[in-house]
Amino acid sequence: MKPLLIVKKQGVYGSMQDQGRYGYRAYGIPRSGPMDKVSFQAAHYILNNDKNQTSFEVFIGGFEFEALTGGTYVLTGAQSECCVNGVPVEMWKTFQLAQGDRLTIKNVSCGSIVYLTPKGGFQTAQILASNSCFPLGTIGDSVRKGSILYGHETESSASMPFTRGLYAPFRPTFKDAITVSVFKGPHFDLFTEESQQQLLQHSFQLTGGNRMGYYLKGSVLQLKEKKDILSEATQFGTIQVPQNGEPIVLMADAQTVGGYPIIATIHEEDLHKIAQMRVFNTVKFALSEG
Amino acid sequence: MRRIINFPHTMWISQYTVRFAFNEVISQENFQAVQKFNWFLQKNLQHKLVETVASYHTVTAYIHQKIDIKCLQKQWLAMQMSTTNEEIPSRHLQIPICYDEEFALDMQRVMDYTRLTYEEVKVMHMSKAYLVYLIGFLPGFPYLGDLHEQLFVPRLKKPRKSVSASSVGIGGAQTGIYPLDSPGGWNIIGKTPFTLFDVHEKNSFLFSLGDQVQFYEITKQEYSEIKSKGV
Repeated sequence: MKPLLIVKKQGVYGSMQDQGRYGYRAYGIPRSGPMDKVSFQAAHYILNNDKNQTSFEVFIGGFEFEALTGGTYVLTGAQSECCVNGVPVEMWKTFQLAQGDRLTIKNVSCGSIVYLTPKGGFQTAQILASNSCFPLGTIGDSVRKGSILYGHETESSASMPFTRGLYAPFRPTFKDAITVSVFKGPHFDLFTEESQQQLLQHSFQLTGGNRMGYYLKGSVLQLKEKKDILSEATQFGTIQVPQNGEPIVLMADAQTVGGYPIIATIHEEDLHKIAQMRVFNTVKFALSEG
Repeated sequence: MRRIINFPHTMWISQYTVRFAFNEVISQENFQAVQKFNWFLQKNLQHKLVETVASYHTVTAYIHQKIDIKCLQKQWLAMQMSTTNEEIPSRHLQIPICYDEEFALDMQRVMDYTRLTYEEVKVMHMSKAYLVYLIGFLPGFPYLGDLHEQLFVPRLKKPRKSVSASSVGIGGAQTGIYPLDSPGGWNIIGKTPFTLFDVHEKNSFLFSLGDQVQFYEITKQEYSEIKSKGV
C-alpha cells in the first residue's frame, strides 16, 4: 500500500467505489458501485486501468487533498472547478501531482458527481468481494479530514509519462432537464390512469437525495385504491411511490427489497443521467418499448 | 399425489432483470413454490445469472445474458413431471433469545395489546419454527413468519431512533432480528447473543433465505456467557 493523498478539507460526501458488489443481494447487500458508471469507466479507460479499479466518488465537491507521493490522476464526471496549487486543471485528461501539491475539487457547476482516480486505482480493503464503500452495512471506511487515501504498489500504478484524455466531443454533458427511458414497474397498473399519464408526460423535479435514493416532486401519483403490497426486490433505478405520492428513485446503495408500489424502473443505460441530476433539475420519463 | 406448480407470471423489469411472480399472498404454499423456483433458476441459468432475490411471492433474477423464457417454462414442467424428486436443502437453526426486561423494551406494549401475560408472550413466540421468507431492509435482516395470530401487534407509531443490534422484534404477522444498530419500528421483546452480520467473518451472515428458525429461551447469565464466547 502506497499513501497517495491526505484529505485536508472534507466536502459534502465522498466514498470509494469499484464496479460494485455482486452476489449478496439475497442477504440484503446492494450492489453499490459508481452512481455514474459512464464517468467512472471513462476514468479507468483514460488511465489504462483494469476495469474494476477503485475511484473516489465526490458529491458536489468541497474536497482538498495534499499529495503524499507523486502520481498520475484524472478527474471525470460533473463539470467542476478543480485546481492544483490554485491553478485550474482540465478534467477528462491525465495530470500529475508531485509530493506536497494541493488538489482541490471546488464547486460543481454542471452535474453533481465527480470521480478522482489515480493511475492503478485507489487501494481499500476488499469486503464481500468488492472495494465499494457501503456505510449502512458498516462496509468500508468513511473518508474524512485527515484520512489517507492509498494506491497500489505495482508497476501499473507508476506515473504515466504522457498525457491521455478524452477530446471534448466525447465527454458527457450534463443538462438541467433530462429525459430517461423507463420500463413499466410491477405495480404500474395499480396506479390511476391519470397518474400513469402524469408519470410519462409531466416532468419531475429533484428535491434532494444521496447514494440511497433521489427524491422527486411533481404530480402526486396515486393508487386506484389503497393497497398494501408485499415487499419484493428493488434495484438501482426502481421508482417507488410512498403514500405521499412523491416518487423516489432508488440509487446505488438503496435497500435490496422494498414495500412501496413500484411504478417504473429506469433503463440501466440511463442511470448515469439521473445520478448526475442536481437539486432543482428536472427529469421526464419516456416509456421504453424494448 | 404431487401438485404441479404453474410457471410464475413473467415480467421484464429492465434489460437485465426478470421478475417471476406467484400469487400475491404470504403463505407456506407460496414459500415452497418460491424456494423451488429460486433453486430451479440457479440450477438452470447458471452462468447467465448474476444473482436472484426471492421474496414472499416473487423471484427476481438479475442476469447478464439474454435468457429464453419459453425454454425455462419447458424445463420447469419437465422438472415437476420427473419422478426423481430433488430435495431443496433447508437448514434448521436453533436461536437463543433472552426475554429479560432489560432487552424486552416493548413487552408492556405487547402485553397490553394482546392481553397476554409475559410468560404467554414468550411461550407463544417460541411455540413454532419460523421460515426466513425474505432478507432485506438492512443487511442480513430476516423476515420470519408466520407469527402466532395472537401475537399480531402493529409496529410502533413512531419508530425508535436506535434499536441495538441482535434485538428481536415482532410486527404484524412477522418477527425479525436487527442485524445492526439502526432505527426501527418493530416491538422489541428480547435479544439474541448471536451476531447476525459480520463482514469480517468468513460466513458473514447468520441467516439465509429458506432457513427454518426455532427460538429457545436463555437466562441473562446464559446470554452473557454466550455473548462473551462470541458466536
